[in-house]
Amino acid sequence: MSQKPIIYKSWRELPLMTASMGDTTVNKTGSWRNVEPHHVEQVAPCSLRCPAGNDVVGFVTLAAAGKLEEAWHLLAETTPFPGTCGRVCPHPCETECNRDHLGGAINIHSVERYIADYFMDKPPEQKPGTFSGKHVAVIGSGPAGLSCAYHLKRFGHAATVFEAHSKAGGMLRVGIPDYRLPPEVLDAEIRRIIDLGVEIITGSRVGKDVSFDQLVHKFDAVFAAVGFTNSRPLGAEGDDGDDVVPGIEVLRKINLGMDDGVGNKPLVVGGGNTAMDVARSLLRKGKDVSVIYRRTRYEMPAIAEEIDELLAEGIEITFLATPVEVLRENGKMTGVKCIRMKLGEPDASGRRRPVPIEGSEYVIEADCVITAIGETTDLEFLPDDIRAKTSWNIPADELGRTAFDKLYAGGDVADGAGTVTAAIGYGRRAAIAIDAAFRGKPVADNAAMSPSLRERTGYAIPFEEINTAYFEDLPRSEPGSLKVSERIKTLDEVHQGFSEADLEKEAKRCFSCGTCPACDNCYIFCPDAAISKVKDDKNKLYLVDIEYCKGCGICAAECPRGCIVMKAVR
Amino acid sequence: MRALPHLKQFTEVAEQEIMHSGHVACPGCGAAIAMRLALKTLGRRTIIVFPACCWAVIDGPFPYSACSVPVFQVAFETASISAGAIRAGLDITGKKDINVVAWAGDGGTFDIGFGQLSACAERNDNIIYVCYDNEAYMNTGIQRSSATPWGSWTTTTPGTDFKKERKKNLLEIMAAHRIPYAATTTVAYPDDLIRKFRKAMSIDGFKLIHIFSPCPPGHKALEKDSILESRYAVESRVFPLYEVEHGTHYKLSMDPPQRPVRDYLALQGRFKHLTDEQRDFIQKSTDEEWARLMHFMKVSEAVE
Repeated sequence: MSQKPIIYKSWRELPLMTASMGDTTVNKTGSWRNVEPHHVEQVAPCSLRCPAGNDVVGFVTLAAAGKLEEAWHLLAETTPFPGTCGRVCPHPCETECNRDHLGGAINIHSVERYIADYFMDKPPEQKPGTFSGKHVAVIGSGPAGLSCAYHLKRFGHAATVFEAHSKAGGMLRVGIPDYRLPPEVLDAEIRRIIDLGVEIITGSRVGKDVSFDQLVHKFDAVFAAVGFTNSRPLGAEGDDGDDVVPGIEVLRKINLGMDDGVGNKPLVVGGGNTAMDVARSLLRKGKDVSVIYRRTRYEMPAIAEEIDELLAEGIEITFLATPVEVLRENGKMTGVKCIRMKLGEPDASGRRRPVPIEGSEYVIEADCVITAIGETTDLEFLPDDIRAKTSWNIPADELGRTAFDKLYAGGDVADGAGTVTAAIGYGRRAAIAIDAAFRGKPVADNAAMSPSLRERTGYAIPFEEINTAYFEDLPRSEPGSLKVSERIKTLDEVHQGFSEADLEKEAKRCFSCGTCPACDNCYIFCPDAAISKVKDDKNKLYLVDIEYCKGCGICAAECPRGCIVMKAVR
Repeated sequence: MRALPHLKQFTEVAEQEIMHSGHVACPGCGAAIAMRLALKTLGRRTIIVFPACCWAVIDGPFPYSACSVPVFQVAFETASISAGAIRAGLDITGKKDINVVAWAGDGGTFDIGFGQLSACAERNDNIIYVCYDNEAYMNTGIQRSSATPWGSWTTTTPGTDFKKERKKNLLEIMAAHRIPYAATTTVAYPDDLIRKFRKAMSIDGFKLIHIFSPCPPGHKALEKDSILESRYAVESRVFPLYEVEHGTHYKLSMDPPQRPVRDYLALQGRFKHLTDEQRDFIQKSTDEEWARLMHFMKVSEAVE
């Protein structure tokens, strides 16, 4: 090592006092670093769990900021039915919500409902995509069918929906009672789809009024979303009379304003949503209704809130019993002989199988039986060659693609998921797949997500990544609902929506997991002044100056919502 | 769809970046955060005086300085009087709008500069005296100071010989001087820190701001936990945030829900040798100090 020569200077050459001539930015302290921060926007668990693919954090935070129209448009990216979903969806988003650990989950469905209701009468203008020349036939105007048609129209394809009933809406129309989903809401949302340019032909049953082959011949693709139409038979002795009726049939009659044709003391068999809906509808018609279910409350497939409300309304559920024989005198039902059950080994669904207890038969008084023990599909409309290759459903992948030429399927007829939101999501994914097929492009892996979330790389922020020091422990708000004594007399909607003040309060509780709202924490706390705010860039809010970042990780630790991750320096 | 105002946590801090990157503070240094926020608030019309302390090093080697305001490096015990002298010079030349800040560590304040600090406070020199307190002589290798808390490990109080003396109560001492303004603050609460600097700037006379400043190497804590430690110090009431006006008017700045002292101790390796009984003792003495502080608050209210 060569020695530097020592330079001697006289006092005249030295400055009067030592003064700094420059700043320390010459010193690149970034070389100390072994980890570095990356601003990464991630997908919140609520958005990830939404079967319809809604950007939940997106619309909730927009609503909190009072930007309702932007929130509406964001929802319109994924669903044509925010008003419906805000009412009837079992909201898995709220189950996953990280806020649940601090004051209770965000009341997401009420926020969605508020946004939809705000624009119900006068929705913001939406334009269909530029017409591609392709035309798709959609069989069934339920949530899956209409969602698919709506998105196809947005993508620029023509869509014609064939509906067997006199009114569009499928299960939304005939399967969900008015007290949960008022017909005006459904009408408004369907009107919006029609206004976009979707053609709906009602009273036209495929397989009868128009043949499936005709559709395949005439259209560029066919999306089958016929849903569950048939009730499973009761399987008890004497279940073939007129006084044993399927639950969905009764619901259809009530929903279309017809006479329900049911006696005064009906017994509803089943523990699913249909059973709850039909029992509560009949109660409102003044019937002395009761429910019987062969397992326990724990195994009931119905939405928990629906069960609670049914019990609150005074309807009795007999658990662990099932009908074995319908008793009649002079052709008129006098009662139902039932047998007690006990729970045995778990079955294919993971629930414990009910086993009859021998000799425990007893009689329940009833003048009619309503079956709601599950629904199944009716695939009679399909030609024999396709019919032969299907089972109870039309097998389809999650994008609705089937093994058959031009045929796509979605909703209950494909997966039997049984919820409106799942059907809406299925319809949208199928529309994306059909669009991709028309344009000869592959479907992206994350096509199921809202377009606003597709560029994000990380997924499902866990609660541990939320820095709770920055959030107040505020309780969840619930909108009002009709009193039990009032609601059992009418078909009026049970639950009310949020008031403006409630909406603001509730939406502002959102952690906004994984979405950076530019809170400046990383900028404020950086000890090295290495994080700067970026202006005029839509995709970037902060810039980390890697030349000076020492990798302390304070920015990641103090990010309230997990938008910064520390990665090892390569 | 960006910048949702309701999700803002802190008041806007000034955009001006007077403290530059490239300084040589350790990663996660609380004193660097304190200086950055303080300078953003004080602005460019500021003169800083550093005695021997971490910041004398952090500021960078000659001929560079991390702070683009005039900085004077002075002898260990002379931070306060140097600042007072600079103020006197400015006053003579008629420059009234310049903030003169003495920026000293706990060693230069609690121990070595203590006599001068007291003298300066007594003369009520018009300066802002900032003590960034990392609770030991961190710069020279973590030796104990009279700001080191009971129970803490340092290189001069190692192992079972951990410090057995309590920390000096600087604010009470300064309050006894009846200076116009004395306050405690810490880096986890930028709003509080900025507000107190603004207030100090608006007052004539001797102002003291005592900043609790986590030191990852000295506290044997994780670099990323500096803000967390600072927050826990306040939440556990080990370092309550309050102000004292004219030595008699005590005012609590915030009273977050109480956190057990154990949570605060658990973040730091310098306390890891403590037994459960010793931790309970710290909890007990913290509670006593808090009760005493509450008593001062009450007396202040009664006087008003």
